[in-house]
Amino acid sequence: MSESMNKQVAISNVIYKASLFLDEHRWDDWLNLCHEDFYYAIKAFSPEINYDMIYMDGNREDMRSITDMLPKHNSDNSPLARHTVVYTVEMDESQDTATAVSSFAVYKTELDGINSHALAGESNIFLVGKYRDKFGFENGEPRFIERVVQLDTRRLDKGSHFPI
Amino acid sequence: MPARNAKQWDKIPGKIESGEYVDSRIYSDRNIFEEEISKIFKKVWTPVCHESELSEPYSFRTMTVAREPVMVVRGADNQIRAFLNVCPHRGNMIENRPSGSFEQGSPSGAPKHMTCMFHAWQFDMKGNCVHISRGSEGYQDRLACSDVGLRRLRCEVKYGGFVWVTLNDAIDQTVEEWAGGAFDCMEKSLNSEPLEVFHYHKAIIPCNYKLWHDTNSEFYHDYLHYHNRITGFNDSYFARKNIGFDNGHVNVGSFEVQYDQYEGFESREELSFPHLPNNHWEMIDFFPGVNFNLRGSALRCDIMTPLGPDKVMIEFRGLGLKSDTPEERLIRQRHHNSIWGPFGRNLHEDLLAVTTQQATMSEFADKRRILHGRHELDADGDPTIHDEEGMRHFYDAWGRWMDRWPGDPELSFEEGQKREAA
Repeated sequence: MSESMNKQVAISNVIYKASLFLDEHRWDDWLNLCHEDFYYAIKAFSPEINYDMIYMDGNREDMRSITDMLPKHNSDNSPLARHTVVYTVEMDESQDTATAVSSFAVYKTELDGINSHALAGESNIFLVGKYRDKFGFENGEPRFIERVVQLDTRRLDKGSHFPI
Repeated sequence: MPARNAKQWDKIPGKIESGEYVDSRIYSDRNIFEEEISKIFKKVWTPVCHESELSEPYSFRTMTVAREPVMVVRGADNQIRAFLNVCPHRGNMIENRPSGSFEQGSPSGAPKHMTCMFHAWQFDMKGNCVHISRGSEGYQDRLACSDVGLRRLRCEVKYGGFVWVTLNDAIDQTVEEWAGGAFDCMEKSLNSEPLEVFHYHKAIIPCNYKLWHDTNSEFYHDYLHYHNRITGFNDSYFARKNIGFDNGHVNVGSFEVQYDQYEGFESREELSFPHLPNNHWEMIDFFPGVNFNLRGSALRCDIMTPLGPDKVMIEFRGLGLKSDTPEERLIRQRHHNSIWGPFGRNLHEDLLAVTTQQATMSEFADKRRILHGRHELDADGDPTIHDEEGMRHFYDAWGRWMDRWPGDPELSFEEGQKREAA
């Protein structure tokens, strides 16, 4: 396999690994996949107001701060499961950076968010959208430079404290 | 004191008085809900969108008010008008999209007209019917364009460019009269220069609309929010007041939020709203289900559309100045989103709380008393922000509109007052 192909496979793997780490609330492991200049954003286009919106954004330290403070906040602890499919990985000419587009659906399995007696265990789609990622390489390993979570879903109900 | 048996549980606790609680059935009873739609929501002014959502002539927004489909359009004369989004022919909804423009033609109709796609009846931007397909062939001289038209609604653009609509042609107040002075605290900030919406998302929450309004009206629930505990709770925090206005509106006074106390948050002194001191916060709880929240650099507006006794749609908007540079807009978005965004610190907690609150109040569940009896005064005898005067003021207006006593909705308001006096 060519070096380019190897890198593309490695990028796909790191996208899937990130989904697992996020599902499992392994925030440090997730952030360790990210470059120190990492930028994260959740965005959506609203046809209601005809505007490209940013629902959340921050750098690596912002994301660490948010995840570190999760235990201090009251949250819906219903597990989120990210079903991710990597659609494209495109290397730049230098082979030093790459972009990737993945489709995702986030399923929420109710635990304690509404009425656990009746609803715990019920799974519903919470969000759908695309991950638009940029990667660099450190010691040959891909690292997220940027992740833009482009949401299709705009009816967000209770929302979430967790990165998507 | 031990836990209560059924009889003790049903008793009014302590020395709480009749006007200091509501009966949980007002949050769950379907008949009461239907009455609220007809007696309140069909009668009052409500904001439905912001003028920046209709930026060009022929642009439109659609929404529902008290179950009625409504369309707001900007005419060629730049005036914003509101109509029922209903064709007078066969009752079809004229426009299905949430927003857009009539400048281009539609498959069924001409440019610059509102066209019902079903039978291609067309209307101008003032709601006049201008075309009935094969009109004279079908109706001869029995019905002409001049006999039909869209149902116009009273509409005003007021308080920073919000578009206000009422279904009630007979309302005897303007929006300003209906507000009764509640906007005095932020009117100068809102009207200083044109605003623009930069954030919109909606939530459909399994709770009664009043539970969300209650949460916006009481600050005792700061214990819910780590962010509030860490950035507030100083002397100026408690010195704020709930100020009641006519028609059930409440203003929550300003104080300086110590954003730099929250890890990861810088001070927000870099940007504010015109005439709002840096890091300050003003809030209006507008009867019956709207909230305006001017905090630091961003304005938030929640508009509630009740969908059922235990279901409400809340539309969340964030606004900045139309003149913002891209850098300023980004700062406003970050300030707004970090607290109030769907992935922010506070909004999720608030929505979680009202959801679990409603979970104990399902229809036909045993009635309970929901307390709002805090009278927390400062050293000078003035109520602090943890005094629940705001909710009491709301329910006093609610009871008058409904002619029901909130603490026992089987009583008329007058009967409830007599019982309270006794």
